Amino acid sequence: MPRGLWTTTVGSFPKPPRLEKVRQQAARGEATPEALHAMEREETVKLIQRQDEIGLDILVDGELYRGDMTTYFAERTPGFAISKPVRSYGNRYYRKPVAVGPIRRKEPWTVAWWKFAQEQTKKPIKGMLTGPYTMMDWSFNEHYPSRAAMTMDLAAAVNEEALALQEAGATHIQIDEPAISVRPDELSLAVKAFARATEGLKAKTITHICYGDFHVIYPALLDLPVDQIDLELANSRYDLLDRFREHRFTKEIGYGVLDVHSHRIETKEEIKEGILRGLEVLKPEQIYVDPDCGLKTRTPDEAFAKLEAMVAAVREVREEKGITG
Amino acid sequence: MTIQSTLAGSYPKLPTEPGDVNVRVIRNRVDAGRATEKDLADAVSATTKRVLDLQEKQGVDLPMDGQIAWDDAQTYVARGLKGVMIAGLLRYIDTNTYYRQPEIVGPIEWTQPITAADFRAAQAMSARPLKAFLPGPYSLYRFSKDIRYGDPIAGAGAYGVALAAEAAALEEAGATWIHFEDPWLGRARAEDARAVVAAYEPLLAGRRAKTMVHVPFGAPQQVFDDLRPLPWSGIGLDLIEGPGGWDLLPRIPEGRTVGLGLLDARNTRLEEPAAVAASVARARAARPDLDIHISPTASLEYLPADTAEKKLERLVAATRAAREGA
Ligand SMILES: [Zn+2]
Repeated sequence: MPRGLWTTTVGSFPKPPRLEKVRQQAARGEATPEALHAMEREETVKLIQRQDEIGLDILVDGELYRGDMTTYFAERTPGFAISKPVRSYGNRYYRKPVAVGPIRRKEPWTVAWWKFAQEQTKKPIKGMLTGPYTMMDWSFNEHYPSRAAMTMDLAAAVNEEALALQEAGATHIQIDEPAISVRPDELSLAVKAFARATEGLKAKTITHICYGDFHVIYPALLDLPVDQIDLELANSRYDLLDRFREHRFTKEIGYGVLDVHSHRIETKEEIKEGILRGLEVLKPEQIYVDPDCGLKTRTPDEAFAKLEAMVAAVREVREEKGITG
Repeated sequence: MTIQSTLAGSYPKLPTEPGDVNVRVIRNRVDAGRATEKDLADAVSATTKRVLDLQEKQGVDLPMDGQIAWDDAQTYVARGLKGVMIAGLLRYIDTNTYYRQPEIVGPIEWTQPITAADFRAAQAMSARPLKAFLPGPYSLYRFSKDIRYGDPIAGAGAYGVALAAEAAALEEAGATWIHFEDPWLGRARAEDARAVVAAYEPLLAGRRAKTMVHVPFGAPQQVFDDLRPLPWSGIGLDLIEGPGGWDLLPRIPEGRTVGLGLLDARNTRLEEPAAVAASVARARAARPDLDIHISPTASLEYLPADTAEKKLERLVAATRAAREGA
């Protein structure tokens, strides 16, 4: 019997309203850091139980304790300062890291959270990091003479953290590079940095890529030294599959079947159809079914309902096609 | 030959002084049902005034209104056109900022002025003539999902016609300069040239206002020969991300303006005015006949408000130094 079609998520989950409230209070000094941390742990435990109940195969800690993909790391890293708010879209703002000196990892970024999360379940918890190229691209730089120099220092720092996660027992390490798909001329820098970031890793490596012009970097993207590339299929109405017909996708794929920008809960049938279309050009053992991107912009109810539909769809496809986990 | 300072797009909406009106806070209140659309319009107006006052105080020669009501560089205009719907969020080129994708579902039609009333209102708050802003027609097409024309020449051309009508409305409102933000020109290849020309021919024909075709994040090297014969008044170059723009200087037709994007709008590192002035001198040595606009490379909204203010200071100081050197 062929194996395959495992289920997972991209990384972030929505913060429960009570946690959002305490985060805001803590930011204003109305709640203690200890109170915030306690609630983050409490909600992380619940979130892992919920992922177990839904029946996902590979879990995440949900990043309830992180604000943003780059700032969380920069706040813990000498060489970085944090800017005043910059607009990302409409009325949404974020604080951007600023390289002001040599970037060096002085303390673990995520290891304690990973250990805590893994203690809650027998299923694997992915280690979740932001890649060196994306951290460089999404930061201001007042220190380094070039983008490459900054990227490679970040790659060394990410590598230290990835090795520490592996040392702690992580068998899946995801290093996200959402910025990779926008500057084809820098793809070789991103690849080189990714190789540095994953040096010495035996754990399965995964990277998530989104929001870009995939067509200009494929198939060159397959040069990335990584076991699994996670892509958004649903958002582009599965048109990436046509590209895979022209040029075979040679790695494992994180196969996004849920549109994270939409409130609508996908039906089991449409998710099944998306997976079946994928099976026309990919082998089941290549496919890890997941949402298109992090779920943090949805409400908790929407996120869980979407994942339930996804797991139900995968179960039926597995049954119909005689695929086991 | 003149040297002037100007902006190259929108300006941060947030205040740098505590207590100043904060359009972000008001929008959140409107979303939560604790403020009205009128409150929001008032906050937008007050912020526009603040941005204009700041430019006046600093001494920017050709100010812009900062596009305080805009969510991104094209939705505000695209949603006002018939035949265009607004779809999902996409990343704006290689910036870590986003825009809503225009979706072309029917023939693109301009039916009424979209930005002219805003321009009038802003102009009334400023002692100096303002430069108006519109998205460039070629990029507007490249940013869109085209399920109507299925052909870049027809689609970009239709945007060119629609934006020409909007440009006429701005002229009617008193605009003497119109800035077109067209980042995709820096990424266009030779085979895209026909679509570029199709977009700009109707837009530039018979313009009363002066037109600045501004290309952030790159240099329009591959299509410059095709742009060259068109009647634009100025070409705006991002000389930090598109150093290839220096090679275009000698090829700019006589009697035009060159926009020198010399202050990095995407990095907080502050330029030395003397170094910027030296770059202006280099441009003048190559083309002593051209009028010069010194500007940031792109919209200052990529920067936090405090840094944007410092960049403005440097912009004005650099322009002064360049004039003294001239
Ligand atoms: Zn994503």
